[in-house]
Amino acid sequence: MSGIRLPRRRRSIHSGQAAAGWLFMAPAIVLLGLFLVIPIAMALWVSVSDWGGRGNPFTGAAHFVGGRNYAELLTGDGLARRDFATSLRNNAYYVLLVVPLQTVVALGLAVLVNRKVLRGRGLARTAFYFPSVTSSVAITVVFLFLFTASGAVNRLLGYLSIEGPNWINDPRGVVHLALSAVGVDSPPAALRSPVLGLDVWDWLSGPSVAMCVFIVLAVFTTSGTFMLLFLAALQNISAEVEESAQVDGATAWQRLRHITVPMLRPTLFTVITLGLIGTWQVFDQIYTGSQGAPGKTTLTPAYLSYEASFTSQEWGRGAAIAFLLFAIIVVMTLLQRMVLRERDTGGRRPRRLRPSATAPKGGEQA
Amino acid sequence: MSFVPAQTVSEQAAVEQPVAGKAGSGKARRGRAARHKAASFAGGLLLLVLALAYVSPFLISVATSFKTTADATAHPLSLVPETVTTAAYRKLFLNSDFPLWFANSAVVTVAVTAGRVLLDSLAGYALARLPFRGRGVVYAALVAVMAVPSVVLLIPRFLVINSLQMYDSYAGLIVPLLADAAGIFIMKNFFESIPPSVEEAARMDGAGPFRVFWSVVLPMARPALITIVILSFQGSWNELSHFITASQSPELFTLTKGVAQLSAGALSQGTQYPLKLGAAVVMTVPVAVLFFVFQRRIMNTGAGAVKE
Amino acid sequence: MSPLTFRPAQQAERPGRGVGRRALLTGAGAAAALGVTGCGTGFRDSPAGSGGGQSGGPLRVLIGSSGDAETRAVRAALADWSKRSGIEARLSVAADLPQQLSQGMAAGSPPDVFYIAPEEFAAYAGNGSLEPYGARMYDDFYPSLLESFRYEGKLVCVPKDSSTLALFINDELWRRAGLTAKDYPGTWDELHAVARRLSSGRRAGLTFDPQWQRVGAFMAQAGGHLVDRRGRADVDTPENEKALAFVKEMLASKALAYPGALDAGWGGEAFGNESAAMAVEGNWTVGALANDFPDLKYTVVPLPKGPEGPGTLQFTNGWGVAADSANTTAAVDLVRYLVSANAQMTFAKKLGFMPSIELLDERWRKEFPKQSAFLDGVPYAQGVPPVKGIKEVLAEFGAELEGLAGKKPKDILRSVHSALKAVTG
Repeated sequence: MSGIRLPRRRRSIHSGQAAAGWLFMAPAIVLLGLFLVIPIAMALWVSVSDWGGRGNPFTGAAHFVGGRNYAELLTGDGLARRDFATSLRNNAYYVLLVVPLQTVVALGLAVLVNRKVLRGRGLARTAFYFPSVTSSVAITVVFLFLFTASGAVNRLLGYLSIEGPNWINDPRGVVHLALSAVGVDSPPAALRSPVLGLDVWDWLSGPSVAMCVFIVLAVFTTSGTFMLLFLAALQNISAEVEESAQVDGATAWQRLRHITVPMLRPTLFTVITLGLIGTWQVFDQIYTGSQGAPGKTTLTPAYLSYEASFTSQEWGRGAAIAFLLFAIIVVMTLLQRMVLRERDTGGRRPRRLRPSATAPKGGEQA
Repeated sequence: MSFVPAQTVSEQAAVEQPVAGKAGSGKARRGRAARHKAASFAGGLLLLVLALAYVSPFLISVATSFKTTADATAHPLSLVPETVTTAAYRKLFLNSDFPLWFANSAVVTVAVTAGRVLLDSLAGYALARLPFRGRGVVYAALVAVMAVPSVVLLIPRFLVINSLQMYDSYAGLIVPLLADAAGIFIMKNFFESIPPSVEEAARMDGAGPFRVFWSVVLPMARPALITIVILSFQGSWNELSHFITASQSPELFTLTKGVAQLSAGALSQGTQYPLKLGAAVVMTVPVAVLFFVFQRRIMNTGAGAVKE
Repeated sequence: MSPLTFRPAQQAERPGRGVGRRALLTGAGAAAALGVTGCGTGFRDSPAGSGGGQSGGPLRVLIGSSGDAETRAVRAALADWSKRSGIEARLSVAADLPQQLSQGMAAGSPPDVFYIAPEEFAAYAGNGSLEPYGARMYDDFYPSLLESFRYEGKLVCVPKDSSTLALFINDELWRRAGLTAKDYPGTWDELHAVARRLSSGRRAGLTFDPQWQRVGAFMAQAGGHLVDRRGRADVDTPENEKALAFVKEMLASKALAYPGALDAGWGGEAFGNESAAMAVEGNWTVGALANDFPDLKYTVVPLPKGPEGPGTLQFTNGWGVAADSANTTAAVDLVRYLVSANAQMTFAKKLGFMPSIELLDERWRKEFPKQSAFLDGVPYAQGVPPVKGIKEVLAEFGAELEGLAGKKPKDILRSVHSALKAVTG
């Protein structure tokens, strides 16, 4: 091969590769563009239009109405705002409980399963992970059966002489229930003022008993996935480190708190981010299990968006809800990123194990 | 929740190692051993209880699906039916649209999985190995697109599918699901991890980019492809919201849509728990099989997925 | 052709189905419509041009069926009509009618003829999805039923059947509680008393779903309503408060339990499996009970009178015709056939449906003497006001009623009133 031909050939390879590159990418770009990028642009238009679900929204059947759909949701007087506020409340409690619970449970399971001494870890790991692979529809059906008034869960509680509630049909908020247990049944006047069309008292209801079923369901189905993430990270913490910590006189709890958890920071970050994104979008379980009932206490923004468009002919409103939800998810993720990053300084730096010295910092993280 | 994308796992591998501490005395060690034993017994017990708690809903569903409706209501906890009856399954398979739903789910899942394997690996390879102008932009766009929550797409996807005249057809069910940014991402990461020398050699022999991709690189990508297969299979088998918005005819119902509406009481004829749970059991079987076949690959996060 | 134009879905995958066939047969027409949309004049205009009805092709009929019996009966009626008209009519049964209808409309390929619920009616009439064919009908429908299908003064659809609420009583449980036919409750107090007497342990004396569609009957008996004569919201009234207070009282004394509390999906089921001895339900429950609980013996009596006399609610579905139908003439002709005395009497015999035309009143009573309580209520029954957004308001009312036991009736009414006012103006 001569020295002159080689560069030429290389060039031709390169241009051939560039063409091939676009060719290889083309199907994916077309699909992603069509079904991810364009839809968002179209929905943005629908969210500022009055499209009523008939005719083509892009050729005159819909008119530009500016921010009216958004205004109805945020400042309107009607049900639109009230329902949106209700769905935000429901989902906020859902997120508030599911994210920490699933993180803690997943971490706990991972630590348990990671212990070399225990037999049957493999089987247990399978058991914990299995709910994550099954469809949310199937699991929801199963949970609906388990949580009927005379169902399996209440039978179990019965053995403990506890009379379980009528789970999935009970619209009462748990905070309200707790308050009424100490004799507070109706709100003080100060809590009657409405925020976004919903009384402060109603905002403070806590998740309804029915929503608690979905919270348990979410923890049950997601903890396995996140367990695997933690497990991968745990296995990267060398046994040596653990060993040295043992030798150092640290108890199992101290080791978990001062070595394992700090080293799991990046995983923790991932798990919480994924958790936040996932929990704000809960839809399948609601569609299958309750459709917002009882008393709209399991209504979520995702389901409300679907319902407004697909059954109430309010397509503009439905799209607007979706974008507001999108905004919430983005803001939450950024917020979480900020909070965790601030605490992160120093966390990543390799450090010597001094339980007493690191205690205050560790306490902050736990 | 879906399978863990291999990336997320491998990112975690980059945890920095703290400096090891000093050695301790032997006496302390022996005392700790005794405590260790007790702790490990307690740990084992806890593990057993938890594993049972995680498995019991499935065991109860299987048992209940073989009960009569009255038995199911009267003994919700029992794992043994009073009289074993296959009435629920007979009704599902002989007297309802369930077989059709199953067939539709199978068609969609197989098509989506096959399509994704091809498209993801093509695009992943291009992003990893084929230098073309605009690659950076495409990559950035891909990452941005991955951040869009699927719920936002519920309404607009319907609009696009409708505009493309794919509404209420198999194409409408399948094609939109082929768009899979995460899968491309996984393949790209994998291809970047194989040494370029292999391809160089093939290229020197005069093979074109597609030849190199098809007969040299792709065969090496089996582990990553299996990941894509698992993710796609599970994702499309369990998909619900897209199927709700992409079709209306009963002929195009998939398992998730059919069973969800069954559960929501659309065919309201009482509670029919054995029937519903039977449906839930049957729709779990294919993913369960997939899960057990590839269990090693899914669970060995330490060795398998991370290495990918 | 721009990729972003709407047109009837072509369904290439399933050529055997109605849509595909229609698209094939009306190929020329579809192409013309496409041309129009392509130019940007909007899909809305095209059906008006092609809606004259000369284009043939089968009609697509979409119903939400209560079961095989209803599906078969409607299919038989369609076949009958097809024989006369020479036009094929194809039936599909929706698992979720509102959603399927809505998506069909938004996709520009709605069914030609379909069931339409009064709650959904105004939303569709408001966006022009419904062909207003009321003026082309000439049967003597019950006037009160027609009120639910008027939009902006125009009669848009006609009702396909009717029903009202009545009290279902389990004969065996009634007898065992030492009660006789003389004890059938005529007033609220009597209702409460017998319900109390019939409840024991896990069994409730009375059940009905927590919705306006049941509780509204008590509001009517107390002299209340949702909207006043001029169609304005009028919910927050002493009459309605009295009704809700009564229902709350029955809940508190455990005489009444909602079906959910009895592990049942709806009132009829709770009544059927005897977890409740009485139920406030409509005559569709008769068919459901015969189907699921064939051995149950029961009696249907009119609802008790309230402080302001008798009151009940009326229920119906309309036959909707899509404005975007390619063959509205044939579609309206089909509806005319389906609401005719003969067809309605056939439905009545097969399914127990109550007719929507006065002509059949006596024949129906003769056929179903045990169910005359339902017909008795028709003259004074209240229906769903045809207001856009009423469905959401009623859903809100229902959600509030689920928590009635722990709420003040006044608060519920106030919040429903403000929600309804926002949509009625």
